Amino acid sequence: MTARSGAVPAALTARSLIALTLGAAALVGLAAAPAGAEGRRYVEPPTLVQDVAGLRLPPVAARLPRQPQVVDLAADGKEPGQYGGSLSMIMGRDKDTRQMVVYGYARLVGYRPGDFELVPDIAAAVEVEEDRVFTFRLREGHRWSDGEPFTTEDFRYFWEDVANNPALSPTGPPSELVVDGVPATVEILSPTVVRYSWPQPNPEFLPSLAGARPLYLYRPAHYLRQFHGDHADPAALEKRVSEGRQRNWSALHNRVDSMYQFDNPRLPTLQPWMAVTEPPSDRFVYRRNPYYHRVDPEGHQLPYIDEVVFLVAAPGLIPTKTGAGESALQARYLSFDDYTFLRQSETRSGYETYLWRTAYGAHLALYPNLNAEDPVWRALMRDARFRRALSMAIDRHEINEVIYYGLALDGNDTLLPKSPLYRDGLRERWAAYDPEAANALLDAIGLTERDSRGIRLLPDGRPAEIVVETAGESSEQTDVLELIHDRWMAVGIKLYSRPTQRTVFRNRVFAGKTLMSIWSGIENGLATADTSPQAFAPTDQNQYMWPKWGQHHQTGGAAGEAPDLPEARRLMELYRVWRAVDSRPERIAVWDEMLAIWADQTFTIGLVAGVLQPVVVDLDLHNVPVQGVYAWEPGAHFGIYRPDTFFFGPTRPRTPDSLLTAAVRNRS
Amino acid sequence: MLDYLVRRLLVMIPTLIAVSVITFIIIQLPPGDYLSTLIAEMESQGENVDVAKIAALREQYGLDRPLWQQYLVWAVGMLRGDFGYSFEYQLPVADVVGDRIMLTIVLNFGTILFIYLVSFPIAIYSATHQYSWGDYGLTLVGFIGLATPNFLLALILLYFTNLWFGTSIGGLMDPSYIDQPWTWGKILSVLEHLWVPVVVIGTSGTAAMIRRLRANLLDELQKQYVVTARAKGLPPMRALLKYPLRMSLNPFIADIGNMLPQVVSGSAVVAMVLSLPTTGPMLITALQSQDMYLAGSFLMFLAVLTVFGMLLSDLALAWLDPRIRLGAGTGR
Repeated sequence: MTARSGAVPAALTARSLIALTLGAAALVGLAAAPAGAEGRRYVEPPTLVQDVAGLRLPPVAARLPRQPQVVDLAADGKEPGQYGGSLSMIMGRDKDTRQMVVYGYARLVGYRPGDFELVPDIAAAVEVEEDRVFTFRLREGHRWSDGEPFTTEDFRYFWEDVANNPALSPTGPPSELVVDGVPATVEILSPTVVRYSWPQPNPEFLPSLAGARPLYLYRPAHYLRQFHGDHADPAALEKRVSEGRQRNWSALHNRVDSMYQFDNPRLPTLQPWMAVTEPPSDRFVYRRNPYYHRVDPEGHQLPYIDEVVFLVAAPGLIPTKTGAGESALQARYLSFDDYTFLRQSETRSGYETYLWRTAYGAHLALYPNLNAEDPVWRALMRDARFRRALSMAIDRHEINEVIYYGLALDGNDTLLPKSPLYRDGLRERWAAYDPEAANALLDAIGLTERDSRGIRLLPDGRPAEIVVETAGESSEQTDVLELIHDRWMAVGIKLYSRPTQRTVFRNRVFAGKTLMSIWSGIENGLATADTSPQAFAPTDQNQYMWPKWGQHHQTGGAAGEAPDLPEARRLMELYRVWRAVDSRPERIAVWDEMLAIWADQTFTIGLVAGVLQPVVVDLDLHNVPVQGVYAWEPGAHFGIYRPDTFFFGPTRPRTPDSLLTAAVRNRS
Repeated sequence: MLDYLVRRLLVMIPTLIAVSVITFIIIQLPPGDYLSTLIAEMESQGENVDVAKIAALREQYGLDRPLWQQYLVWAVGMLRGDFGYSFEYQLPVADVVGDRIMLTIVLNFGTILFIYLVSFPIAIYSATHQYSWGDYGLTLVGFIGLATPNFLLALILLYFTNLWFGTSIGGLMDPSYIDQPWTWGKILSVLEHLWVPVVVIGTSGTAAMIRRLRANLLDELQKQYVVTARAKGLPPMRALLKYPLRMSLNPFIADIGNMLPQVVSGSAVVAMVLSLPTTGPMLITALQSQDMYLAGSFLMFLAVLTVFGMLLSDLALAWLDPRIRLGAGTGR
C-alpha cells in the first residue's frame, strides 16, 4: 500500500500533496493503529483501506468526531466483533426501505435496552431543565455520510427554512414542537450547541426524538439548500423541478428530503448504513457510512457489517424464504404460527429461532364503539356493566389454548406485568371467565327478554346481535371471534364477524357505523412513569372505542365530539396533569389512577397478550440477544439492540432449547 | 381491405376514450384515495399522522380537485406519452414499470410455448383415439392440472426445488443477479427459476387447450372431405395434418386478441404468490393502495393491447382462411 502511494502521478497539485502526506501518515499508522485526537487508537475498516489509500476518503481518525460514541459492548453482554460480511434481510415492499432507518437507530437520544432509559447518541450530551429547556451538545467534528460537517446550522435550516417555511410546512412546525399552541424557541448557541425551550413542560419531546420513526430536528442543509426556493438559483431550481417531474420546488424539496423514507441515495445521512440503490427495485443495498460516529472499545469504527441487503418478496413467501436460509436476520413478516416450520428447517439452513417478547398491552382486543351511530347500541356500549359482562363472558383461557398453544398471557388490555407501573389485579379485573356473573349483569341492565334462539332483545325489540368488524388481514382474528361467538351465545349475545378492507374498516369505525371492532391493544405495554399515558385517554381518532372523542382532541375541537362520560373526561384531565407535572412520584400517581379507571371501566376488552415473536438469526451472526423485546415503540424492532454491533464471525454453537424458549416460561 | 383497415382504426378511438373514462371511474369507486390508504398504513404501525399535513399533501397531489379535472390531467398527459405519477413510488409511472414488462413477456411466452408443446400432441392423440384408455387417461391428467389450485402447486414446487436443487425461493432470478447487467449467469439463473411458474401457470391452460383442440379436431375429422381423402388412400398422417388440423386452429388465432393482454397482466395471482418481478403484482398493489395513475395507466395499456390484438387476429384470420375473406367480401 505504501508502494501504491508512492506511485502517484507527478501532476498532483500542492493541496492534494498535503493530503497525500496525511494519508500516508495514517497508512503507516494503520499497522500500529493510528492515534485519534483524544489519544484513542482507531482501526480502519478493511473495505475502506483502498479508498483511504487512493485519497478518496480521509483516514478513520479524521472521519470520526473528536469524541466518538464509544460503545460499551461488555455492558450489553456482547463480544467485540470483526469486520465484513453482508447482512441479508427480506422485506415485503419497496417502501420497507425505511426499515433501515428503524434498524440503524442513530438518534439524537436513544432508548437503552433493558430499562428503556434515554441516553445521548448522536448528541454528545443533552441537558434538560424542568422538562422545558433542552440543550443539545453535538460532537465536534461529526460529519454527514458525504463528509460535510454536521453542525447546528443543520438544526437552524430545519427550524427556519423547513418547519417555519409556509411552502414546505403549510401547517407549521411538527406538533411535537408546539406546546399548548406555543412553538419552541430555538437558540443556536454555537456551532455545536442548540437549545429548544417552551414556557410549559414538553415531556413528549425527547421520546419523539428516540422513536422508531423519529422527529428529525436537523436536515443536511448543504444538500437540501439547492432545492430550496429561498436559497437556490431560480433557473437551476426550475430545471430540477421539471426534471424531477414535480409541481413546484416545495414538492421537490419534500421528495428529496426523505430522511425517514430513506429512498434517496443522494441524501446524506447519519445512520450506520447509507442507501445505495435507487428505487424501484427488488433488492436494496445499504453500504457502511464511513463517517459513522460510534466505535467499539478497541477503536473499531462501527458498523462491523459492511453491507446490508433488503430483498423484496411477497409477504406470504417470506416465512418460506426465511426457512430456506435466505435471510440472516428476520422477524418482520414472521408470526408465531410460523414457529414450528422455522424450527423444523433450522438444521438444513443453519440458523436458529429466538422467541422475543412483544410489548403490546394486548395482542388482540375488542373495541366497543362508544361513539356508535345507533342510539340504542350507543347507550349500551357506554354502560360499563354491559362492557364488563361481555368481558366476563369470554373464555380467554380457551382462546389461549386453542389458537396460541397456551403460550400467550390472557387478560385485559393494559400494561404488562414487566412494566414498573403494573399493579396486581389490573390484568384480571373483570376478565375472569364467569358466565353467571355476566348473565346477572345483563339482566340487571334490563336485557331480560329473549327471542326463540335465546338471544336477548334490546329495549327497542331488536335482537342483541353485534357485528364485530376486522380489517380482514389474518384468519387469526376471525378464528378468535369464532370462539368468542360460542361463549357469548351462552349469555344471549350473538356475534357476527365481518372482514373488510383496512381503509374501509377505519372509516366505518370513525363514522360510528361499526358497533365493535377487533384490533391490537395498547402499543406500549412496558410503559414507565416518563412514558406518555396518551394511549389511555381519548386523544386519538385511532382509539377505536372512542374515535370521535379522539378526533375532538386532535383537531382542537374543530371536529368530533367532546367526551361526555365522566370517566373518560377524568382520564383526559389526568393526561393533562401528567404533561404539566415534572416529578416522578407525581407522574406515577397519575399513571396509577389512570390505570385503575381504565381497568375498572373495561373501555377495551383485551383478550390475550405476550404472543411471542420468532426472530431468525443466522448461526454466523453474533451479538443478537437471545432474549429481547420486539416492539415498534419503544424499541424500533432491532434498533435498540444496535445492529451496528452485530457481526459475522465463526459459526456459533446452537443455543440450548431451554434458553431459546425461556421467554415462554417467564413471561409473567 | 384498406378501407376496412382504416374503418377499424377509426372505431378504436372512441372505444379507447370510453375505456379510459370507465377505467378512471372504476378506480375511483372505492371510498377514500391513496392518502387515506397511506394514513391507515402509517397509523397501523404506530406512526402519528398530522391531520393538517394530510390536507396539504392532498392538495399537492391534486387529489382535492374535482374528478373530471383529475381525469383530464391524466388523459391529456397520456396523449403526450406521460403516464402520470405514481404516489406510492413517488416516481413517474414509466420509471416504475421499467423492465418488468420484459420479464413478463418472457414468462408468458414461455408459458404459451409450454401449453402448445404439451397440449398439441395430447389433443391430437385424444381426438384420433377417441374414447380409448389413452384418451381417458390423458384427459384425467389434464383435468387434474385444471383442478389443482395454482397457488398451492406453486408453493409445493417452490419448496421442493429449494430442498432438492437449492433454487432460491420466489422471484425470477437468484437475488445476487437483481439489478445487475445481463450475463450468461443471469440468463441461466432466470431459466432455472422460470420453469416453476411456467409449469404452474401452464398446467391449467393446458387442460383447456387440450379439450378445445380435441373438440375442434373431432368436428373436422367427421367431415366428408376427410372421409374422401381417406377413401382415396391418403396416408393417415397426411390426411390428419393437411386440412383437419389446420381448420381446427382457427379459434386459436381468433384468441390472439385475448392473449396479448394476458401476456402483460396475466397470471397475476401466481406471480403474487411466487413473488415474480412481473407486472401482475404491481397492478394488484397499485389497485389496493389506490395509486390511481399507476393502476389507470396499466389498465389503459391493457385496453390498448386488447384492441390492437383483436385487430391483429381479425387480419390474420382473414389472411389465413379464404372462407372468411370471401365471406366478408360478398357480405359487403
